[in-house]
Amino acid sequence: MVTTREAYFRAMADTLPPETLVVTSLGNASYLWAVVRDRPENFYVEDAMGLALPLALGLAVARPDRRVVVVEGDGGLLMHMGGLITAGAAAPANLTVLLIQNGVHAASGGQALTNAELDFAALGRAAGLKGARNIETAGVLGPALAEALEGPGPTLLALATAPDPEVVVPPAGFDPVATKRRFQDAIEAPRYVPTLFGGGRLEERRR
Amino acid sequence: MNAVHRPSEILETLERIGVTVAVTVPDGWLGEFLVRIEEAPWITLVRATHEEEALAISCGARLGGARTALVIQNVGLLSMGAGMVCLAQRYQFPLPILASYRGTPADPVFYHVPKGRATEPVLRSLGLGYAVADGDRPIGPQVEQAATYAEEASCPFVLLLGREDVQW
Repeated sequence: MVTTREAYFRAMADTLPPETLVVTSLGNASYLWAVVRDRPENFYVEDAMGLALPLALGLAVARPDRRVVVVEGDGGLLMHMGGLITAGAAAPANLTVLLIQNGVHAASGGQALTNAELDFAALGRAAGLKGARNIETAGVLGPALAEALEGPGPTLLALATAPDPEVVVPPAGFDPVATKRRFQDAIEAPRYVPTLFGGGRLEERRR
Repeated sequence: MNAVHRPSEILETLERIGVTVAVTVPDGWLGEFLVRIEEAPWITLVRATHEEEALAISCGARLGGARTALVIQNVGLLSMGAGMVCLAQRYQFPLPILASYRGTPADPVFYHVPKGRATEPVLRSLGLGYAVADGDRPIGPQVEQAATYAEEASCPFVLLLGREDVQW
């Protein structure tokens, strides 16, 4: 029996420390994760297909003090495969890629991928994501994810699952700017402070 | 005669205003400029494979609290449209974009001409704020103004740069 996306997400929720920064791609990756574990440290990427991984890469570069986990889909990764190459080259040690491999474009209704047979773990290793591996059960994901979080990254875990084109209803509608501000407040990201006639600067927040 | 080395002035400005992450896709004019960024200890250079990907990396770095600069050729402005509207504009990320302006009458490479013709109409159609760098004025303040505009308007802002601005 094929492991469901929800089973993987439950294993993620059981494994990830609360301070982990989680970036999720469009569709059920974001909607279901919001159902399973909605936290200010989640950044939901609505639309912008294929850009969750590069966004997470930039986040990991900017915040080397925090673990960053990105949930991307196989269709999204195919759309911006270069992001995998850049992640391997930039090699932020704090980045873990979880790839939902369901073989379809689930968010748009289940259309076939250009190639659904790719070995993404092998691609990940070739790109420089050390220890990239394929995962087939939620029971294996938990320890594998824990190991990934302990060791230096970046790495990739490709999670084999079945298509789930039925849209999950998140607990609340996503407001992109509110999502961004909630996230930045949670991580105490430096805030831009304007000055009269330009010349503003980013300032650390007072704790 | 302007004795100031304008690419150096851009780098000095980026350092002074606190830009710590630059995300780039190369261009012939930008080659050495990017090497100088890479060698600078105060900034991290991320070399992306495509400008739309670079845009998303910049969004992520800014999300994490780093001030960023996206350094690309203007052709990247034509190819990053989806990410621009679906990510950078939708989430209101302040991103200064420094783009070499290829395909103007001052550019000797003939095949850049179509990009030059399309660039500003595309920027206007995307609703992007932009400016063409004034070669008669110091470039540093123009870079700072672009970055300030991006921050204060919470959106990307494009500064189109001439050869003398970026070619080392």
